[in-house]
Amino acid sequence: MKNRVAIIGCGAVKIGRHPDRAESDLAMEAIRLALHEANISKDRIEGLFTTPDLLECVGLQINLLCEYMRINPKFMAEISCGAIAAGLAIRCGMNEIMLGNIDVAVCYGAEREASINYFTDSPGGQGYNLQDPVALQPYGSGGIIWAYALSAQRYMHETGAKEEHFAMASIRNRKNAMANPFAAFTSPITVEDVMRSPQLSYPIKLLDSSASRDGAAAVVLASEDVAKRVSDKPVFITGWGQYHDNSCFIPVDGCDKSISTFVATTRAAEEAFKSANITPGEVDVAEVYAPFSPHELMIPEDIGWFQKGGMIAALEKGETEVGGKIPINTDGGLLSRGHPWCVTPFYQTRAIVKQLRGEAGENQVDGAKIGLVHCEGGMLNNAVVMILGRE
Amino acid sequence: MMNNKPNCLRPSNLHYPSTKEFWEGLKRRQLLTKKCLPCNEVFFPPRSHCPQCLGNDLEWVKLSDKGTLHSWTQVNMARPEFDTPYLLGLVDLSDGLGRLAGKIVGAEAKQLKIGMPVKIVYADVDEDFTIYCIALEK
Repeated sequence: MKNRVAIIGCGAVKIGRHPDRAESDLAMEAIRLALHEANISKDRIEGLFTTPDLLECVGLQINLLCEYMRINPKFMAEISCGAIAAGLAIRCGMNEIMLGNIDVAVCYGAEREASINYFTDSPGGQGYNLQDPVALQPYGSGGIIWAYALSAQRYMHETGAKEEHFAMASIRNRKNAMANPFAAFTSPITVEDVMRSPQLSYPIKLLDSSASRDGAAAVVLASEDVAKRVSDKPVFITGWGQYHDNSCFIPVDGCDKSISTFVATTRAAEEAFKSANITPGEVDVAEVYAPFSPHELMIPEDIGWFQKGGMIAALEKGETEVGGKIPINTDGGLLSRGHPWCVTPFYQTRAIVKQLRGEAGENQVDGAKIGLVHCEGGMLNNAVVMILGRE
Repeated sequence: MMNNKPNCLRPSNLHYPSTKEFWEGLKRRQLLTKKCLPCNEVFFPPRSHCPQCLGNDLEWVKLSDKGTLHSWTQVNMARPEFDTPYLLGLVDLSDGLGRLAGKIVGAEAKQLKIGMPVKIVYADVDEDFTIYCIALEK
């Protein structure tokens, strides 16, 4: 990639419930920590990009935040595109730096979806207006777990995966989260615990699911020139891919699209590997955006690390654990880190940056040089894949 | 024990001119979709514009009410006005034009197999709104 862009600092707050703190408070705390790690002053912020404010402030909460921080960015925007918004916010910052318009951008997200009851208090049921009104909407209200459950059951039919395999992904994530001070869920769980947890929509159970939580995180992007002057451990964005396979949640226009293999993931990953000039096997550590445990199996297969159904054996052999062939979600994943949905990709990015800087603590992957961040929107209909690398 | 409530909400386009006839068709026990007059594309779900040529000169055509079960789930947790548990299926319509998700009626989970033939049946929710459901082929 031309005009290289580095991530020079990340900041985050603990994921959980923050009923007594405004979104702006959480955002400022994440940005403060990120700037501190980046060793750079707030006055250097020329670009500011954020994810949707769930309180529907029509994009203007970013203005307030600038006043609270007394900064005047040349470029700023609230980016909305489902759960790839954070990936696109990073892309916007990258673009402005690559074009030579600015040297430093901050990308952040802050949301309190648990404290404002985002998923339970919306009138039609969250997801209502996202579904095709004829083919999905009447029955598709009141959440989206059913859609992931249809996908999971189809995957079981095609690969022979059992519920226990999904549980193994939940457990790997939980084990990793236990060493993450920002994670919301850190008590140990077993396969039996997952299997005995309440069935929400067969085969998805409570402990196969990510939980709605509050959170805030920020990353500081810089041009190569600035990065090398202020940071002794810059992590470069070396590859980037995005793809949308036309559909939203369940593809209904035609019968030819799979709900257990997702083209968007594969194409975005191919593009990212190509732009980084690497093969999938060169990735040392990865963060994938799986809201439910069955998709912890599908996404790594679609990225290209395993054949379809290959994640079953990979989980049994521990190949996605720290020390395995491709350690995945070493920070706990969406299931155990907790899932403030717009902000999650910033936590994922932070996790990979920590790995590449050798600062991942107990879950450090030895010698990690190349990392991958995947995020998705709809039910894996959109995908963004980013490759990060250290010098 | 599965319950017999409709477990669906009124769709946002029930009275829109571009889709009203689909919902009217369900009242007459007909599954309808749209055909584009300039380009002859028949598509499902019916919408305001042809997805192929983006034209909006469209006519209604009948669709087969047969299909195959692409996947299914038993929903145990849903919005408060839905009664649980219930079975939800995703159907590949046999014309191959598209899919829909609906409540499976008159069957238990143990009878369901992915790929099995199913048919669309109809349930009157109230005077204004009839919904499609999924039943097993006998």
